Amino acid sequence: MNAPLLQVEQIEVVYKRVITAVQGVTLAVPQGQIVALLGTNGAGKSTTLRAISGFLGLDDAVVTEGSITFDGAALQNRPPHEIAGRGVVLVPEREKVFPNLTVAENLAAPVARGTKARDRRPHEEHIYHFFPRLAELRDRTGGLLSGGERQMLAIASALMCRPKLLLIDELSLGLAPVVVGDLVRRLCAIRDELGIAILLVEQSAAVALEIADYAYVMENGRIVLDGDRQRLKGHKDVQEFYLGKGSAEDGARRSYRDIKQYRRSRRWYG
Amino acid sequence: MFRPTPRASGYFRTDYAQDLALLQTRAERIGLAALVAILVTLPFVATPFLLDLACQVFLASIGALSLMLLTGYAGQISLGHAGLIAAGAFTTGILTREIHAPFWVTLPASALTGVVLGLVFGLPSLRLRGLYLAVSTLALHFIVIYLGGEYETKRGFSTGILIEKPSLGGFKLTDGRAWYFVLLIFAAATLLICINLLRSRSGRAWRAIHARETVAEALGISISGYKLLAFVISSAMTSVAGCLFAYYRGFVSIEAFDLFLSIQYVAMIIIGGMGSLLGALLGAAFVTVFPYAIEALLKLLPNVQKLAGDIFAVNYASFGVVMILFLILEPLGLVGIWRRLQNYFLLWPFKYKPLAGTRK
Amino acid sequence: MQLLINIVVLASIYALIACGYVLIYRVSRVLNLAHGELMMFGAYLVLACSSLFAGHPVMALCAAVILSLVTGALVYIFLMRKMTGEMVLAAILTTVALGILVRGVVVLVWSSQQQYPAQALGISNPTFTLPGDGHISLWSLVLVLTNLAAYGALFGFLRFGRWGMRMRAAGQNPLLAAQRGINLHGVYALAWSLSTLTGALAGILMALDSGVTGSMPVIALKAFPAALVGGLDSLGGALIGALIVAGAEVLLIYYVDPLLSDVVPFLVLVAMLFVRPWGLFGTREELDRV
Repeated sequence: MNAPLLQVEQIEVVYKRVITAVQGVTLAVPQGQIVALLGTNGAGKSTTLRAISGFLGLDDAVVTEGSITFDGAALQNRPPHEIAGRGVVLVPEREKVFPNLTVAENLAAPVARGTKARDRRPHEEHIYHFFPRLAELRDRTGGLLSGGERQMLAIASALMCRPKLLLIDELSLGLAPVVVGDLVRRLCAIRDELGIAILLVEQSAAVALEIADYAYVMENGRIVLDGDRQRLKGHKDVQEFYLGKGSAEDGARRSYRDIKQYRRSRRWYG
Repeated sequence: MFRPTPRASGYFRTDYAQDLALLQTRAERIGLAALVAILVTLPFVATPFLLDLACQVFLASIGALSLMLLTGYAGQISLGHAGLIAAGAFTTGILTREIHAPFWVTLPASALTGVVLGLVFGLPSLRLRGLYLAVSTLALHFIVIYLGGEYETKRGFSTGILIEKPSLGGFKLTDGRAWYFVLLIFAAATLLICINLLRSRSGRAWRAIHARETVAEALGISISGYKLLAFVISSAMTSVAGCLFAYYRGFVSIEAFDLFLSIQYVAMIIIGGMGSLLGALLGAAFVTVFPYAIEALLKLLPNVQKLAGDIFAVNYASFGVVMILFLILEPLGLVGIWRRLQNYFLLWPFKYKPLAGTRK
Repeated sequence: MQLLINIVVLASIYALIACGYVLIYRVSRVLNLAHGELMMFGAYLVLACSSLFAGHPVMALCAAVILSLVTGALVYIFLMRKMTGEMVLAAILTTVALGILVRGVVVLVWSSQQQYPAQALGISNPTFTLPGDGHISLWSLVLVLTNLAAYGALFGFLRFGRWGMRMRAAGQNPLLAAQRGINLHGVYALAWSLSTLTGALAGILMALDSGVTGSMPVIALKAFPAALVGGLDSLGGALIGALIVAGAEVLLIYYVDPLLSDVVPFLVLVAMLFVRPWGLFGTREELDRV
């Protein structure tokens, strides 16, 4: 296979010149695949995502080492709208829609590089076809949507930018399992029909491992584990710590000390 | 908190008394002693012009300190500071004019006006925040000025109110040197009050409110109480400054308290450095001396004749430029520069080196 | 009748100025306190252009309008761009400083005496008598019409234009807007130039009507309450706010005391801030997230 669509190579991100949030992170998103980035709070997932989407500058953070290559072009430390123009589009974790614009206006506002005005309409209809619910809500104000509808609108308006790579921050946050399942199925459909690659940042490993072709696990600003779906699903530590399946052979509760030991041993992975 | 300067290593505080002391190291004590010595000898060597300039700096310092308390620490933006100074000045003017009130009556009366106005100015802060609060103080400024103007025209003092020099215990305050010491004492007292307010419970509450109101409230701090307290204390001190200003000038007129004065005070705390009392003092000195410095500079230039008539405009323009430069290049103000110098000498011969690659 | 005309003319002045405040505030949450000075600058630009294009009043006016558009963009690019992401107070103070600077420069270049661009352009200012025995000068009438046209155009632009929609989007959530490929600096620069344009239009027309001095910015300061009464982020609100403030001002001056002129808008403002701080049609500011 040729080079992946997005290649993050050994990046290091430093906040306010002193706090290193992410160190030596390497990951790749191949064309047309769904890749998941897992980890608990503060593991560095969001920082990695921000580094890719260009939002670091606002928090006084800089990518100090390594490189981010997308489609053959370097992305590190570029402004967000330029990155979006190249085809990397983020669905943020919160405040993901424009609250005072209607659904239709939310879909009309995004800038799509290299798209002629007359191509917009069919594209819009195409997107409504993925989310028929949005078509019914066309004139509803964005702020009045429910959580699930809002997530749909966020994904839809991100698709209006004609992305090649969709970054989704916390797809399942605050949503009912039923809604999440629905969204997951739609994401798969979008991937298959539009050929878009998706980088999914998730806390819920169960959701992510359901659809991801490949996944990375982050902890303390480093990647500690990676592998395809099968490998991670079968991995003992992932099962215990991310999928919540107790692996205690004798059924007895393990002490905190054991966990610490495990953590120590795991440093050697990535 | 009060002085976040780095200290040489090996300095430890070993009991609470040391922690509470205002001056903690020998260097500080020596520094203060030297400063006092300079300030005391200054009036005996300075020209009348310099003496007047120093008096103006002291007056501005009182106003800037009280504004710093309100904006820099409690986080309540005020664009109506000139209105409060005007209130103090007019209280003094009206009282001396109408009932020939002596100094020891007008001063507390001005402070009282300040307290009342502080409550009025502070009331919007209970509902408004940030920009809206700034606008409401701006509006109140205009209203105070309007009331002053009404009084002037109704009583027929359309050019302003003349005020006799005050007398303290039979000693009439006319001499510039006497004024210098009076204003110096007032400014020093204001500084001391501010320091002690800030390192006590109220100061901590203000800072908490500044950082995040909701959290402060959740921690049991009475938001409305402390906000009003900040407004009341700050306006009382400002009005006292207004009262002193009226006596010092011997003349009160609304023209002296236009919006530009408010802006100058805000400029003082910005240029000096937000959230620092030292900044307020430095800013007050800078802004007060600035126009004179510009004038002196202009005299050095060859084409004086052409610009002499527009000295006011030159002042305006250059003041705008300086403010913009400070806002963009040195948001920490003069205090930021001061600290960097201090750091430089404290760390000498080592240099602060930013992390590789973090330079933008 | 004359009273009514006075109210309408004053309201138009306030409204045309107020929409400049609204545009910038709506898009970037910055209050532009240099608006009055920029407005005055526009008026003085006419003066400058009238000597450049002597004998061609239309050319001179067009040049002044275009120059003011450019001025707005330049102000953003060279000054306010550096303040994006800074504290609101710092941004406001930067505009204040800009205002002081402009004031000084204007006096230095054009002196502080009252000047009449209409004379310099060689155009007259006839007075019309309306039915009902009211008088209105030509340029006041033009101002009222310009105001209506400006509001109509802005409404259409913000509601239906794609860039207008993007301006609204950027005002609501700049981060998301940037993420959706909207160039924030472009949008902000656009807002600044449009705002300066409307302000300059007001300044130019007032100057044609009654001349221009260095004290013109005070009018813009009085127009600010109009913007706030209507709601700082609502265009329609600014129009109605202007009517309310102008009505209150004209009536109180006529029936109570002419000295009140400078203070009435601010009395209205304070009253409004106590009752409904976010204005008649504005959106309520979001409360802190715990």
